[in-house]
Amino acid sequence: MKYVKGLKCRECAREYPVEPIYVCEFCFGPLEAVYDYTKIKKALTRKTIERRPKTLWRYKELLPIDGEPQVGLNSGFTPLVKAENLAKYLGVKELYIKDDTVAHPTLSFKDRVVAVALTKAKEFGFDTAACASTGNLAHAVSAHGAKAGFNRFIFIPATLEQSKILASIVYEPNLVAVDGNYDDVNRLCSEIANKYRWAFVNINIRPYYAEGSKTIGFEIVEQLGWEAPDSIIVPCASGSLLTKVWKALKEFKEIGILKEVETKIYGAQATGCSPISTAFKGGTDVIRPVKPNTVAKSLAIGNPADGYYALQAVRESGGAMEDVSDEEIIEAIKILAKTEGIFAETAGGVTLASYMKLLKDGKIDKRDCTVLCITGNGLKTAEVLNGKTTEVYHIKPNLASFEEALKRINEKKGR
Amino acid sequence: MSELKKLRVRLTFPQELIKEPVLFRMAKKYDVMPNIRRARVTDTFGEMILELEGLEENLEKGINSLREQGVVVELIEGDIIE
Repeated sequence: MKYVKGLKCRECAREYPVEPIYVCEFCFGPLEAVYDYTKIKKALTRKTIERRPKTLWRYKELLPIDGEPQVGLNSGFTPLVKAENLAKYLGVKELYIKDDTVAHPTLSFKDRVVAVALTKAKEFGFDTAACASTGNLAHAVSAHGAKAGFNRFIFIPATLEQSKILASIVYEPNLVAVDGNYDDVNRLCSEIANKYRWAFVNINIRPYYAEGSKTIGFEIVEQLGWEAPDSIIVPCASGSLLTKVWKALKEFKEIGILKEVETKIYGAQATGCSPISTAFKGGTDVIRPVKPNTVAKSLAIGNPADGYYALQAVRESGGAMEDVSDEEIIEAIKILAKTEGIFAETAGGVTLASYMKLLKDGKIDKRDCTVLCITGNGLKTAEVLNGKTTEVYHIKPNLASFEEALKRINEKKGR
Repeated sequence: MSELKKLRVRLTFPQELIKEPVLFRMAKKYDVMPNIRRARVTDTFGEMILELEGLEENLEKGINSLREQGVVVELIEGDIIE
C-alpha cells in the first residue's frame, strides 16, 4: 500500500512524482516527501504500532517507501533513558535522553536515515550506494549497504585521519580519498551524483533519506506513553534532523495520535560552526555559510542545506538556538558519562552543553519535561578526551602499593 | 581541453556589493551564462539561487573572481560531506 503522494518543492510547492530527484527544476528549491494523511490515519493507530517489532519500521506508513522495509530491519527504537541523576545534577524536574549511542548497527542516528535511504534505493532499482562523509554517515552506508548487497562508494577528504577510516573500511566499501579541501570534495560529489546512476544517499536520495530522522520524534512520543514532551534539544549540522523531529510531532497530530503539540524545539550547535544559531540570535532568516572550526566534527557543516528550515521550525515551535565552546562540549560529555553512564560523541556534548546554557539563561523552564537527542557514540570521537579525563592510579603488584593508592583515592573523595 | 558545464549555486552578497553589477561583470568577462531562479535582496544583504553555464575553466575563474570580491559561492545542495 502506498502512502506517499509524491515530492513537493519546499519553496514554490511544485509537485513531482516519486523519483530519485532532489531539487525543483524551476526554482532549485529542495524537494520533500508528501503523504496521504487521510489514508495513513485509517491505517496507523497507537495499537497497530504497539503490535509491531521494536524497530524504526513500526511507523512505516509515515516513511517514504512503497513496499515492505528491506534495509535496517533492526535499526531504531533506541532507549529513552530517564536521566534522574543528570536531572538532579542540573536541578531540573524531568529529563530524558534519547539514546542513539546504541543505534544498530553503527552506533549513530545515521543508521536510521540510511535504512530508509537504502530501502528506497532498492525500490528504485539502484545497485550502488554512495555518500561523502568523514564519519557517521560513512559508517552507516558502509554497514547497511554491505548487509543489503549494494556496491558502495564512500568519498572522504584525503586529509581524514586513519583512525576515522577504519570504522568504514572494515565493511569493504570502495573508499575514495579525494585530494583537495572540503569545497572540492563537495563539488566533485555533486558532479558524480549528477553523472552516475547511483543512490547518493544525501544528494539524489535526500528527500527520502531525511525522512528517516522523523523516527526519533515518533519514538520519543511513544516511549513517553504517547505524550509529546515540553521541549526537545536537537543537535544541528545540516539542520535536517531538527526539521524532521518537528515534522514527526506535527504528523502525529495530523493523524490523530497526538491531540496537541506544544513542544518547543531547541537547536544546538558548536560555536565554531554555528551558522543557524548565529542567524537565530541575529533575528534574521539568512544563513551565512561559515568555515567550521570545532571538535564537534560530526556537526561541522558550514553551509547547512536545511538551515533555513531548521530556523523556521525553531521559531514556529517557540524554541531557541544555542551554541557552545569546545571546552563546554568536552565538559558536557564528561557530565553525561559520570551521571548517566552514557558515553556520547562530541555532538552529544553539544546537545547537553547547549541545554545547560539554555537553562542557565532561563530560556528553558526547569519544570519542563525535556528530551535531549544524543545522536552518536563516544567511542567514535574518543580522542577529544585525551588528557582531559581523571587520573589513572598506577600501582606495583603488591597490597601496600594498592593501599597507598586507596588512601589517595579516599583523600580525594573527602575533599 | 575544457568542456561546457552547468553549476547550480547560491550566491550571498555582502551589503557593500548589493548595488554593484557584480554578476553581470563576471558573466561578461568570463563568458559565463547565469540563469537566475530565485533571488532575495534587502538593504543589508543579497541572495541569489542560479545556474551558471560555461567552459569549465571559465566557470572556475568566474567563481574565483566572485569570491575575491567577497561574494560567498556555495552549491545549492549545501555541504554534502556529513
